Parts: sequence; structure tokens; C-alpha cells
Amino acid sequence: MLDSFYKAFIAEQRYLLYLDGLKMTILVSVIAILIGVALGTILALMRLTAEQKGKSTLLSKIAYVYIDIIRGTPTLTQLMIMYFVILKGQGGLLVGSLTFGLNSAAYVAEIIRAGIQAVDQGQMEGGRSLGLSYTQTMKDIILPQAIKNILPALGNEFIVLIKETSILGYVSIVDLTKVSDFVISRIFQALAPLLGTALIYYLLVKVLTLGLNALERRLRQSDRR
Amino acid sequence: MKKFLVAALAGVMAASMLFTGCGKKEESKVPDKIIVGTNAEFPPFEYMDNQKKPDGFDIAMIKEIGKRMNKKVEIQNMEFKSLIGAMESGSINSIIAGMTKTKEREQSVDFSDSYYTSNQAIILKKDSKITKLSQLSGKKIGVQEGTTGDIISSGEKFGEKNKTIVKKATVKRFKKGVDAVMDLKNGSIDAVVIDEKPAQEFVKNNSKKLKLVIDSAGAEYYCIALTKGNTAYKEEINKQIKAIKKDGTYDKLKAKYIDSVK
Amino acid sequence: MIDVKNLHKYFGSLEVLKGINCHINKGECVCVIGPSGSGKSTFLRCLNLLETPTKGEIVIGDMHLMERGFDVDAMRKRVGMVFQHFNLFPHLTILDNVTLAPIRHKMMTEAQAKEKAMELLNRVGVGDKADNYPVQLSGGQKQRVAIARSLALSPEVMLFDEPTSALDPEMVGEVLEVMKQLAEEGMTMIVVTHEMGFAREVADRVLFMDGGVILEEGTPEEIFDHPKEERTKEFLSKVL
Repeated sequence: MLDSFYKAFIAEQRYLLYLDGLKMTILVSVIAILIGVALGTILALMRLTAEQKGKSTLLSKIAYVYIDIIRGTPTLTQLMIMYFVILKGQGGLLVGSLTFGLNSAAYVAEIIRAGIQAVDQGQMEGGRSLGLSYTQTMKDIILPQAIKNILPALGNEFIVLIKETSILGYVSIVDLTKVSDFVISRIFQALAPLLGTALIYYLLVKVLTLGLNALERRLRQSDRR
Repeated sequence: MKKFLVAALAGVMAASMLFTGCGKKEESKVPDKIIVGTNAEFPPFEYMDNQKKPDGFDIAMIKEIGKRMNKKVEIQNMEFKSLIGAMESGSINSIIAGMTKTKEREQSVDFSDSYYTSNQAIILKKDSKITKLSQLSGKKIGVQEGTTGDIISSGEKFGEKNKTIVKKATVKRFKKGVDAVMDLKNGSIDAVVIDEKPAQEFVKNNSKKLKLVIDSAGAEYYCIALTKGNTAYKEEINKQIKAIKKDGTYDKLKAKYIDSVK
Repeated sequence: MIDVKNLHKYFGSLEVLKGINCHINKGECVCVIGPSGSGKSTFLRCLNLLETPTKGEIVIGDMHLMERGFDVDAMRKRVGMVFQHFNLFPHLTILDNVTLAPIRHKMMTEAQAKEKAMELLNRVGVGDKADNYPVQLSGGQKQRVAIARSLALSPEVMLFDEPTSALDPEMVGEVLEVMKQLAEEGMTMIVVTHEMGFAREVADRVLFMDGGVILEEGTPEEIFDHPKEERTKEFLSKVL
């Protein structure tokens, strides 16, 4: 048993491979969530133009179609299309972060939209009745309140995203899971690499979860003021 | 935090002991049933037929062997890299998957006599000047993960001379050979190293863009992998392979499955 | 000051306002009463375009609200609104609730806005709560803050949409007291209310709405003591 752990992690300095893989996993996840939040915010605002105008707009339709397609197709298929068709074998980091960024944007958009809509309708009327524009009201009144609904859900999305990146190996990108695949193909034992990899993911997610819980506690405290 | 870490580690260890502890029976007896693992993504040796059932040269071979031994053959399709693990855990007792006999694999399984000799093929773009494996040193190579092509391209020791053939290449590992070929067509790698027969299939379907080079330095011998230490089983299988080759059945199967692919 | 002509409002195929005509003079305090569903809140919300009228004409001072390209935000600085549910901003302090709009509109500096806000908060009796957040206030206090928030923009007209309906009974008085003061100071006010006592005491004129039209209007004495319409009598017999 110890022998298989030795083979899976220590022999031939394989731990360096895991470190590299972990680096790819984290890099892709972080860049992807940044793209996701930026593009997701834009998409959410595009969808909200429908609410502002009281009827669906071109922008809201475009955003809806984008979100609908992304959410309606498997991430793996999107990854393969990105790698084999759109970017045709570009660097792994680019392909990975772009795929997951574009994917995440759809989910982030819905999180932000739901967060904004959860704010009482009276808040918008309150702001508008004081002569503030839609944009001003959004910025000064709605978003600061919506952020409390949005942040915890965003953290959740980030955790899901990290775990989803484990499919990167399908297009030869060497992330943490791909490293365990590689090691398995060399030592002909699956258990130690898989358990080790699972543990690394778990610790990564655990640290994030603890951070998010702390953040949520702080947000809730400000509610009790 | 610390407490939870210790608990997690203990869990991992207990689980791995459970798994590795069993499955190493060293009894020498022909099993009642041939439970054979394969990876049906390796035409024409094994693939899913139109009814979504495993078929191919290897599948026909093992069925023929089973028939002659008067044993039932149960085929389990799984990922190539999981095959040896499955054998070690005892859930299968044979592997026929175009698997090459190597020193490393022999630590975990026994191999039958070779039932097929395969060369490694280099798939290249039409305009490439590469003619042999050693020229791939320093290039970008696409492979199917865990296959012989992967081993050779990754600069690991290979073959009877146990030497490195390709040095310092960048290896991109795919789940499927066809994905590596697609990457080659997209121009992001210089070559794909893969077994000769599937290579012919791929090139046949992309004959305007791709070509194929065979290098005997990559020759390897397909064998049936069997539960380690079960010599009675191994001898029985070897006997049947010899018989199948001798009475012409082998040539018929080869003609049906392999040579028909042009 | 305010002129409404033939105002209609549909929600889908439902006609909620069926042609409202009325004129309100500067400094007048007008109370709108009537059964629920009579369209009185919708009428009020049309006056600052929180609801878009389907057709008709609204003129407030020199502003023609139904004109194409009308600057809605500029109008709302001049027409204040107080809601049934206060709609205070829970993430801002009481002081910030009041100063937000004047500062955003660059009507005054931050210091001036704060000074004016404190003056208003003191006037409505919640000056000591300036640094608190809305959740820490009672309903009556919140509504008084909401009134101060509207007054901070020095509006020419104040609209009140059932300002005491969401309050516990013991808090109704303190809010009505503030509104009464405001009326006495000469603010032009339109108040949709169920507080008949307030209407009788403070209003210069009372409008009785039913079924999307103004059925009857007159001085409080005329409406409450000598109603002409059958529906008005019926309504008053239920609420008085």
C-alpha cells in the first residue's frame, strides 16, 4: 500500500507533476471565474433591459439565447468545440479558461439576475421617485443590496467550476485530473493517484468553503446593524 | 482543521488497504469463465459494432479461444488505463485490447504468446519530411494516453533493446486516437504516434491531408494479459492460440477484420 | 398647478382609470378616498409617471408630462412621493437615505445636504436616529424619515400613497401630524388615504373615486356631511 503511494507521488518526482497540474487547475478556474463575472454581469444587465423597458429588447434576447445555449449543452462538448473547432489546438490555458469563462458567464448572469430581482421592487420605485435614473438607482441602491444575495452564490459557482475543470484532460490539457490519468497509465494502479487527487481537490474546495462561510457571516452581520 | 486532516488521511489509507488487500490470489487453475476486459475504441482490433456491442479482431480471437476451451466468454468494456487495475482487483481474468507485452506491465500481469505483431505508425501531414520515430525528438506529438505510442513519444524506455527512441518531445495525451489525429489536422502538433492498424483507418479517412510512416523500431507484440501467476491458464491459452494459427482460422479472422481495412 | 384631463390607464385589457379630470391649485391639500380597487393609487402613481398613463393629459406647473421626450427624472425632483411601505434604503443610514438624492443631483454640497437633512429630520422628530439604519426604526419613524427624504429635494408637490396603511395604529398619529404641519405650511399635497379624520380636518378638498372615475368631489363638509351620490353614502357608512 505504501509502495503504491510511493509510486504514485514520490517516485520520479511525480509530486512535481501534481503541482503543475494543480497550478493549471487553479489558473484555469481563477481566470474563468474572472471572465465569468465580467461577462456574466454584462449578460445580466442585458437581460434586465427587458425589465427596465417592460418588454423584451434585442439585448435581452441576445443574452437569453446565449445563456440558454450554454446551459443547455454539456461543458465537455463546449470544451471540445472550443479546442477542435474554434481555437484549433491553441494553448491549454487559453482554451481552458476561455471555455470555462464563457460557460460560467451564463450561470453567473443568472445568479446576478436572480440576486437583483430578489431586491424588493419598492427599492427601485423609491430611487426613481427621487429623480434618480435607472442606472443611478441600480448602482447606488439595488446592487449594494443584491450583492449580499449574489456573493454566496458566486462562491458556490466557483467551487462547482473548480471541480468541473477536471474534464480539461479530454483535450490534452494537463490539469490535476490529467496528471492522475497519466500516473495511472504509467504505474498501472488507479487507487493511490485517484485518492490523492480527490484529496487535493477536497482540500482546495474546503479552504474555499471556509473562506466563503466567513464572508457570509460578515455579510449577515451587516444585516443586523 | 488538523483533526479533520488526520481523519481524512486515515480514511484514504483504510480505503486503499481494503482495495489492494484482496485480488492477489495466486492459484493456478483455468477459470470457469473467461472474463475479458477490453477498450472498444481501437479499431479494427476492438470497437463497438452497429448494435453497440464490442466487436473486432481481438474480440473474435477471444471468442474463438473460448469456444475451443468450451468456456463462456464475458466481455467487459472499460477505459484502457483501467484494464490492469481491474485485473488486479480480480474483476476480470483476461485482457485482450491490442495490449503490448512490456516489462512494466509484466510486473502486474502475465502475458500469453503474441497473437499479433504490430508496428507503430507515425501519422504526419502530407508535406512532412519525417521518416522515422527518432526524428520526432523535440517535436510536438499527439498520442492516445497510456498506449505504446505514448510510451515511445514520452521518451520512456521501449522495446527489446529497452532504449529511449524519441527524446524531449512535447507529448499531448488524448482520450481517443481520433482526437489526436484531429489535433494534427488542425496543425497544432507535428505527428501522431499510434498503432499501425488504427493509423491506417485514420489516414484512409483523411487521405488528402495525412500520410503514414511505419518504423520497425516501434514494433511490438500483442498478447493476451492474464491473471498473474496462473500458469495453467496461460498454458491453455497459448495452446489455443497456436491451434488457431495452425488450422487457418487465424488467417480467416485476420482477413475479415484487419486486411479488409485498406 | 396640476391639471389632469381625460386620464385613462389600462393594465392589459383591464381599464383601471376611465377618464379622470381634475384641477388642483397651488397650496391645496387634496385627499383622495374610495374603496380599494377604485383606481386611486394608480391615479396618484400616474402623476409622477411611476405608472405610464395609456392616454390623457397631465400638466404640473409648466411640465407637460405626456409630451414625447419628457424628462421624467427632472419632474420627479419637483414632485415628491411617499409610499405605503416607506421604501427606505436598508443599506444606508437614515442620514444617507435623506442626503443621497440631493448629492447625486448635485443640488448641494455634501455638507449642505447633511445640514439640510438634519434640519428636516429634526423637524419630523427623528434627528436622534440620523446614524441608525432603517431596521432599527419603528414604522412611524420610518415613514417620517421617508417624508424628510422627499422634502430634501424641496419639491413643489407631494404625493402620499396610503402613508399610514402599513402602520400600527398607535403610530398613525405621529405621521399624520407631520403631514398636517406640511399642509399648514402651504405645500401642495395629494393624499390617497383611508384616514377619514385626517381628510375631514386637513383637506381643502376631498375626491371620492369609484370604478376608475372621480364620482364626487367637494369640501370635506360637502363630502362627509352631505354626500350626493349613492355610492359615496354607501362607502362612508362603511368606513365612518
